[in-house]
Amino acid sequence: MTAELRNVSKVFTDPRRGKGLIALKDVSLKVEEGEFLCLVGASGCGKSTTLNLLAGFEGPSRGEVFFKGEGVKGPSPDRGVVFQESSLYPWMSVLENVMFSLQGKERKEERAMEQLNLVGLEDFAHSRPSDLSGGMKQRVAIARTLAMGPDLLLMDEPFGSLDEQTRRKLDNEVLKLWQRERKTVVFVTHNIDEALLLGTRIVLMSPSPGRIEKEWRIDEPWPRDLSDPGLVRMKEEIINMLQACPCANGAPSALIELKGV
Amino acid sequence: MDASTKGREEATRAALEEGKAHFVFRSERPRLLAHALGNAALGILIVVMLWWVVAEAMMFIRGVAFPTPPETLIALWEALRGADVNGESIYTHTTVSLSRWGQGYLIALVIGLTLGMAFGTLPRLHEIGMVSVYVFQMIPGLAWIPIAMLIFGLGETATVFIIAMTAIPPLVINTAGGIREVPTVFTRVARMSGKDDSATFFQVLLPAASLSIINGMRIGLANGWRVLIAAEMVVGVALGLGFSIYQSRYNLDFTAAFVCIVVICMIGLAIEKLLFVSMENRVRHRLGLDREDLI
Ligand SMILES: Nc1ncnc2c1ncn2[C@@H]1O[C@H](COP(=O)(O)OP(=O)(O)OP(=O)(O)O)[C@@H](O)[C@H]1O
Ligand SMILES: [Mg+2]
Repeated sequence: MTAELRNVSKVFTDPRRGKGLIALKDVSLKVEEGEFLCLVGASGCGKSTTLNLLAGFEGPSRGEVFFKGEGVKGPSPDRGVVFQESSLYPWMSVLENVMFSLQGKERKEERAMEQLNLVGLEDFAHSRPSDLSGGMKQRVAIARTLAMGPDLLLMDEPFGSLDEQTRRKLDNEVLKLWQRERKTVVFVTHNIDEALLLGTRIVLMSPSPGRIEKEWRIDEPWPRDLSDPGLVRMKEEIINMLQACPCANGAPSALIELKGV
Repeated sequence: MDASTKGREEATRAALEEGKAHFVFRSERPRLLAHALGNAALGILIVVMLWWVVAEAMMFIRGVAFPTPPETLIALWEALRGADVNGESIYTHTTVSLSRWGQGYLIALVIGLTLGMAFGTLPRLHEIGMVSVYVFQMIPGLAWIPIAMLIFGLGETATVFIIAMTAIPPLVINTAGGIREVPTVFTRVARMSGKDDSATFFQVLLPAASLSIINGMRIGLANGWRVLIAAEMVVGVALGLGFSIYQSRYNLDFTAAFVCIVVICMIGLAIEKLLFVSMENRVRHRLGLDREDLI
């Protein structure tokens, strides 16, 4: 087992206004070595919070977070995050951005180019992030995170702001990377199709307070076909559970999107 | 993509016919430059005309010798050719003022940037310190005179002190603000990449805040220059553009005052436009924030 949340609760308090929010309540989750785990759930159910805890950006209010058997105390290069928003440094070239996160001192440029190669952007090594499209920026972000040499790859809706076609294309790239590099991936998305196409396991979270509702194992090989009866059934089940849950903040938008599918 | 010799219209038509998405045409930079300069000249002309109208009106209504633009220009010309302005050449006044200003600003840079960086990175210090910075910022230029005199007496040091004190607050506010507003995700990337605090500060926080810091430097510079008159009231020696303006009150040589005002404005404008605009453009470019800058 790679990472684990053990009875974790996360509370946000606003001392000035005297308000508190239980973002996660008693969540236990084990991330197995080599799996591709997809976290899905309505907006505000604590997906990013879960990722931040695994990354070590934030600490749990109750419970413990483990990585490779040790308590997580802070972020570290062995747990790489691909953020939802654009996170490249605009004052560095694409190559410099990748080199920034590279561990070790020798052959930096060469190794950074190798990472760019993996995401097919070696020709843009000397471009500025502002000259790239949204999808290309996220590919650079992935290359940069891979350059850290992480054992656990945490991706927070990495393609959430992209159009459907670009998203599918990048999903496939991520899948290939995962199959080749044999990393463990936790992938947050609110797009059920994306989760069904990628994951070896889907974990559904529900809000108010954030908790794990149910999980599904997918044994289908890739490439997957969404019209496969097993996947169709699973999708229906997930959507029903999503609609049944008493959703709080921000949830309606996720539901509207789902009703269309 | 090299520049084309084709005009815009011609190149557009060709591109439409050939079905190309991207095309190049002869840069219209000279025309745009002329346009911008023309507008600036028009703006200056309006101000000068207003000044002239007010001058004539005051002479008519109140019978005072309000210097008109032509009179001032002639006096400026004379001064530039070496005529005395309040007992010294305009060049001496200007160099002396520039040197005081330079010293004051240098001190402000050191103190302001250091405090700004400290406040930007240490929230507790920010809460404690910012109040006084805002208070200092509220103190008008003239109010520094008694303070400066009490601490330093009459003399250069008091002048430099006043200039520095008015330049420091914007430096602190913009440096601290710029650092504090750096998106969390930028620092998170650095932390997960294993960077220590100092690497994060110099490689991430400072570059990300650079535009704001430059803005503070620019406002500080302008503040220091504008306070020159007040600052030179305590100088003790009969030198400096600000002192000269102040002096005109006593010998009723208002034309000399106007000459000095024009010189102050020109120098301020030149530094603002030549130094800071180019500096800001370079930083913008480095940050990948280039916009359609016309000139
Ligand atoms: N730093 C914070 N301070 C206060 N509240 C927070 C903070 N971070 C998250 N929250 C709250 O915790 C809850 C869970 O947030 P989180 O970002 O984990 O949701 P999410 O599942 O990622 O949603 P989305 O799909 O919209 O990204 C939300 O109600 C949010 O308002
Ligand atoms: Mg989120």
